[in-house]
Amino acid sequence: MILQGLLFAMFAGTAVGCAIGMVFHRNPVHCALLLVAVLLSISGLFVLLNAPFIAALQVLVYAGAIMVLFLFVVMLLNIRGESPLLTTGSAKGFGILFAIIVFVELLWTVLSPSTELSAPTSMLPRGFGSPAAIGRVLYTVWLYPFEITSILLLIAVVGAVVLAKRKFL
Amino acid sequence: MPAAVIPLLWFQILAALLFTIGVVGVLVRRSALVIFMSIELMLNAVNLSFVAFSRQHVSMDGHIFVFFVMAVAAAEVAVGLAILIAIFRNRDTASVDEVRLLKG
Amino acid sequence: MDTAFLIESAVKVCVVLGFILLGVPIIVWMERKVIGHMQDRIGPERVGPYGLLQTIADGIKLFMKEDLVPAQSDKVVFIIAPALTVVTALVATTVIPWGDTVQVFGRTIPLHVADVNVALLFVLATTSMGVYGVVLGGWASNSKYPLLGGLRSSAQMISYELAQGIALVGVILMTGTLSLAQIARAQEHLWFVVPQFFGFVIYVLSAIAETNRAPFDLPEAETELVAGFHTEYSSMKWAFYFLGEYANMIVVSGVAITVYLGAWHGPVLPPVLWFLIKLSLFLFFYVWLRATFPRLRYDQLMAFGWKVLLPASILNLVVTATVLALRSGP
Repeated sequence: MILQGLLFAMFAGTAVGCAIGMVFHRNPVHCALLLVAVLLSISGLFVLLNAPFIAALQVLVYAGAIMVLFLFVVMLLNIRGESPLLTTGSAKGFGILFAIIVFVELLWTVLSPSTELSAPTSMLPRGFGSPAAIGRVLYTVWLYPFEITSILLLIAVVGAVVLAKRKFL
Repeated sequence: MPAAVIPLLWFQILAALLFTIGVVGVLVRRSALVIFMSIELMLNAVNLSFVAFSRQHVSMDGHIFVFFVMAVAAAEVAVGLAILIAIFRNRDTASVDEVRLLKG
Repeated sequence: MDTAFLIESAVKVCVVLGFILLGVPIIVWMERKVIGHMQDRIGPERVGPYGLLQTIADGIKLFMKEDLVPAQSDKVVFIIAPALTVVTALVATTVIPWGDTVQVFGRTIPLHVADVNVALLFVLATTSMGVYGVVLGGWASNSKYPLLGGLRSSAQMISYELAQGIALVGVILMTGTLSLAQIARAQEHLWFVVPQFFGFVIYVLSAIAETNRAPFDLPEAETELVAGFHTEYSSMKWAFYFLGEYANMIVVSGVAITVYLGAWHGPVLPPVLWFLIKLSLFLFFYVWLRATFPRLRYDQLMAFGWKVLLPASILNLVVTATVLALRSGP
């Protein structure tokens, strides 16, 4: 009980701290590494939420592949941090204002009684969050989106290769 | 399996906070790369919210949604970075404030 | 979460960590001796009997060397990068089942540090995090050759991760579980190398490419890119990279043995001893490959990974799935 609370505090603190660091850091490689730290903390939070398969997928796909792609692009193009760091002028103020409005709105939704957050949490069935449970639903109820996602990924691969070529075909 | 020890509300507030930090990043930063990373942060906040709700309502649908969000995020990052590479090659800058005229 | 469980876990962690940290010098010694004999020379023989203390002498030398950090490099990332390699390799050793259960003080203790029900996915995830150690080391050195070596090496690692993962799915289909302990237990009568022989070959080849070992070690070959991503590293940080590489070898061999070669099953000897025997034979095979084959050129390497191993692993998966579906009937 205490252990779970401590783990939650650690992961949540790391996630928020590294997220703020990522948004306000100059060097893009440092931003990417801080985002990897955020992804790993969120993976830990997934484990706390009884979602081990999604946690492993998060590390494998997000932190292990997508962020490596980010790092490759930064290193190959030698992108440096730019100055000034933030947008100039009134856009900065409006940006932060809108962000605060979004946050207040989200809190309003989360704290309203209709989201059933105070409903008593029941016991989980055996094997909740395991690959077998995901597979049972993914290939039956969600088969159509699954197949479309595979075509989407193929489109993305072809698109990325074509866009990054030096000359047009 | 035992019931949830940590109240769901905390997870939702954390997800909202991470989402807001991502929004700040998208609106305030000039580097296209960091804007991309802030978008990824927002997607992750949404993933966290999905998994937390999935645990609350004891349904695997939240996990499936996260699965699809991850796949779509991967596709989006690939294409987005390819566009960034194309822009960088032509304009030699990755800042969105300077790439705002259609003419080169 | 009682105290007995905590004590048991702490002891197991210490034992596994000690085994890996002490085993790596022995593997290094074995490699130098075996390659020496295969090349018709003796290898280290002066320091200690049969040169056994050579690695310790090298360790002391490395410890006393000057620890450089290049002036224009990114210091924080430069220091963290070797640690990432070592940490990911050591974390992946926690789910490998070193043996069956052991009876101590009336408790039945399973011989793996953690029983995760997605253990195979956990190992794949942590080894995919190992790419960061290489790519960050190459970039943080702020120098041409390490950057190129690091990018090449990490591109190689992420390419071969795919074939590695899909090859393992064949065994996962046959056992229906991702837990390494259960896969080990399921091989009581038939080792999975027999029905999944092609999966085994694909896994071993991609694992050798994953760990950047010969014949896939172009990114760190001395004749090519000076020393690849670890050119600018000296003293203990370089030692860390090599500790990480050999620990990765142990992890990958451990997974291959658990999934394909019957884990700790064997006739007479205790299970842990069988696991260690199989591990030693697998590591000897690794060293044998290094002594025998010339390096693959980088484009040959990438072509092999994408155009040969990946389609082969997908074919293996399709055939396995078809056979299992036909056997289980309509």
